[in-house]
Amino acid sequence: MRMLAVFEKNERIRHIGHLDIQRSVQRGLRRSGLPVAYSQGFNPHILITFASALSTGACGKREIMDVTMAGEVSEDEFLTRMNRAMPPEMQLKEAKKIDDRHPSLMGSLRAAVYDLKIRDRSQAEILIRAIPSMMAKDRIVTMRKTKTKLAECDIKPLIYALRGEGCDIFATLALTERESCKPQMLTEALKAEAGMTDEVRMLVIREGLLGENESGELIPLERL
Amino acid sequence: MDIRDRFERALERVQKAPRYTGGEMNTAIKKWEEAPLHFGFCFPDTYEVGMSHLGMKILYGLINQESWSLCERFFMPWTDMIALMKEDDIPLLSMESRRPLNEFDVIGFTLQYEMSYSNILAMMDMGGVPLEGSERGEKDPMVVAGGPCAFNPEPLAPFIDAFMIGDGEDVMTELNRVILQRKQQGWGREKCLLELAKLEGVYVPSLYQVSYDDEGRVTRVTPKGEDIPERVRKRVVTNLNDTYYPEEIPVPYTEVVFDRIMLEIMRGCTRGCRFCQAGMLYRPVRERSMDTLIHLAEKLQESTGYEEISLSSLSSGDYSCLPELIRELMKRMKDKRVSISLPSLRIDSVLKESLEETQQVKKTSLTFAPEAGTQRMRDVINKGVTEEDLLEKVRDAFHGGWNSVKLYFMDGLPTETTDDLDGIADLARKVVSEYFAVPKDQRARGLRVTVSVSIFVPKPFTPFQWAGQDTLETIQKKTEYLKKVLDIKGVTFNWHEPYVSFLEACFARGDRRLGKVLRKAYEKGCILDGWNETFRYDLWMESFRECGLDPAFYANREREREETLPWDHIDSGISKDFLWRENEKARKGETTKDCRKGCNGCGLQKWRGVCGYANAGCV
Ligand code: SF4
Repeated sequence: MRMLAVFEKNERIRHIGHLDIQRSVQRGLRRSGLPVAYSQGFNPHILITFASALSTGACGKREIMDVTMAGEVSEDEFLTRMNRAMPPEMQLKEAKKIDDRHPSLMGSLRAAVYDLKIRDRSQAEILIRAIPSMMAKDRIVTMRKTKTKLAECDIKPLIYALRGEGCDIFATLALTERESCKPQMLTEALKAEAGMTDEVRMLVIREGLLGENESGELIPLERL
Repeated sequence: MDIRDRFERALERVQKAPRYTGGEMNTAIKKWEEAPLHFGFCFPDTYEVGMSHLGMKILYGLINQESWSLCERFFMPWTDMIALMKEDDIPLLSMESRRPLNEFDVIGFTLQYEMSYSNILAMMDMGGVPLEGSERGEKDPMVVAGGPCAFNPEPLAPFIDAFMIGDGEDVMTELNRVILQRKQQGWGREKCLLELAKLEGVYVPSLYQVSYDDEGRVTRVTPKGEDIPERVRKRVVTNLNDTYYPEEIPVPYTEVVFDRIMLEIMRGCTRGCRFCQAGMLYRPVRERSMDTLIHLAEKLQESTGYEEISLSSLSSGDYSCLPELIRELMKRMKDKRVSISLPSLRIDSVLKESLEETQQVKKTSLTFAPEAGTQRMRDVINKGVTEEDLLEKVRDAFHGGWNSVKLYFMDGLPTETTDDLDGIADLARKVVSEYFAVPKDQRARGLRVTVSVSIFVPKPFTPFQWAGQDTLETIQKKTEYLKKVLDIKGVTFNWHEPYVSFLEACFARGDRRLGKVLRKAYEKGCILDGWNETFRYDLWMESFRECGLDPAFYANREREREETLPWDHIDSGISKDFLWRENEKARKGETTKDCRKGCNGCGLQKWRGVCGYANAGCV
């Protein structure tokens, strides 16, 4: 049996990196006393996967983990015991039993929904005003940082939705194992469009992760 | 923008932000309004060091456990964060509710090593607390301190209102109660200090007058009032089973130095090594019972989810039923996938059996501390370990599949000669041969022998408290010599820079006048002195010069038996006569037996009911 759980990484701990978040969830599972499955071998670890690593500095409202259980547990019990075992900064919102044959989260992931809170109101206004003209273009070229170099990249096909309101930019951006658009790439493109060179301070909130259903619609990954 | 927003902005720019964010498991204990007394626990070093410290976790839990007191943590920020805080006018904030240090009623520093003293000043300064007691007003917090360095409190006397001497568990609550009264009844600072001085084990330095002779030696320390005790005796908790121990401890998100459960199995040590301050200060030996330990281990495992438990004490191998304890812990922890590790393994403990058991869980590197290279020198320091002991343990370990051994030594010990330095190299060479004596197919590959040599620092309340430290020149020559003789295949030699040890020696046995030097050095920019990259020896020497004090007077000078030592008014329970006797025996190379074989009359035997090994009618 596997348990799919939706959890939050809140603003206070947004600088904690993915590896540390993983370790914290594992320790949480150990504290919960829930019957989790361990890998075989000399250095056994809890069988758990995360749908997507959330970058350091970003917080996540609905992050998803997939835990292999060694025994039967109800969804309610999983939720209650885990929430007692996790700090207030990392509470679970939902738990759902899934079949062992359920496809891997990472493979099903298509996109992520972001709320980018621009700290400076006037900067936000300028960036939001640049959305229509940028989206009217055939190509939106920005730089992608790889391990070794900076490469040009067209993010137009990777932007599924984009709008602004007040200080917030709401965006749905591609996120798959093959290609993805990071929020920073989007804001860089908007800055270029608006002719802005100043540094933009923003809080990146990943609101949720999306997968694709049979009819090709993007729906929350945990609903697949 | 308010302070917390500015702090958030700094976090976006700083390296290693996680050390400042807080919000760890088991730290959301209570709200500010829930308790009338607010205690700011300050660890004067970085988060990673502080969060590895057991004493802090004990007191954090203890203070928060009382309904009327609340404890939040403070750590020393790294230099990049300090710069950002200055730039944006951000005070030092607590990890929990992010409140400035000066909003707390009491702030408490733990004194683990002398090289953290400048951080104490830095933290108060950043937290908006006037540095010296005499500069603090009625709105300012009371500043207290405890820990091993509190046994010679004098260099910190101007900055700390009250020191807690000895075990902190009981006196902490008593002290907080007095400070709560200050708050609720509007006592002035003076009244509060007088009340604190009445507590057993509390030293209020401003209530004592120090006089010196022409050469700068202390002649007398006199209490300024009739109610003030002439000597302050340390606190001792006699039964560890009845003493508070936390069942929940904070679990950091990031990896810290010791990221595991630390189970204090006993306090104190019966061995009587003559260089070891902890061994004297934490006398007598007190053990926690197996039942208590197993209960604590299970509770802590459930509340932390940690994967490792380490048994901690000065000499874990001496715990009376160690093999049983380890076996029982292993049995209970196996299904939970928790490994058990023994950090300060003594090489002469009956541990072969347990060694084999630890190994089935985790094979870490083995650590031995012969401390000196020759039997003569080991007799001088009363380190009751022979070469045969060590080699036998090493042999067992190599046969058992270990390939990595760490050996710890000191140089600059009293009476040391070149022979003793050669002895270090000889021992290392013999360890290497033990490895190669194991048939190739039966030993683990890749031998690693690490020899670490630290520089001896004479400490108060040890038999060597009168000794002069080797001069910098001598130490440097010895290090060069060791580099030559330790150039052995398979052996890595780690040495220490002598400057830090020299300064440590000054402050370890310093008097009240050193407060001026400390303040000057801090004002010149000395902070984080325990870190190579930030240590500024030149600024320290400049500060000594400008204060008209000679560091050699403190570090290198041999004291007379009759001399009043700056810490003589602190009573550790160990008599000066005993220490002097031990000093004389050391010079003659005579050893003193382990207290478990009979009382040696250290002075504690006169303190009724404190030491379980001292029977009535002994010396
Ligand atoms: S009183 Fe005796 S047995 Fe106890 S610590 Fe002192 S010397 Fe050892």
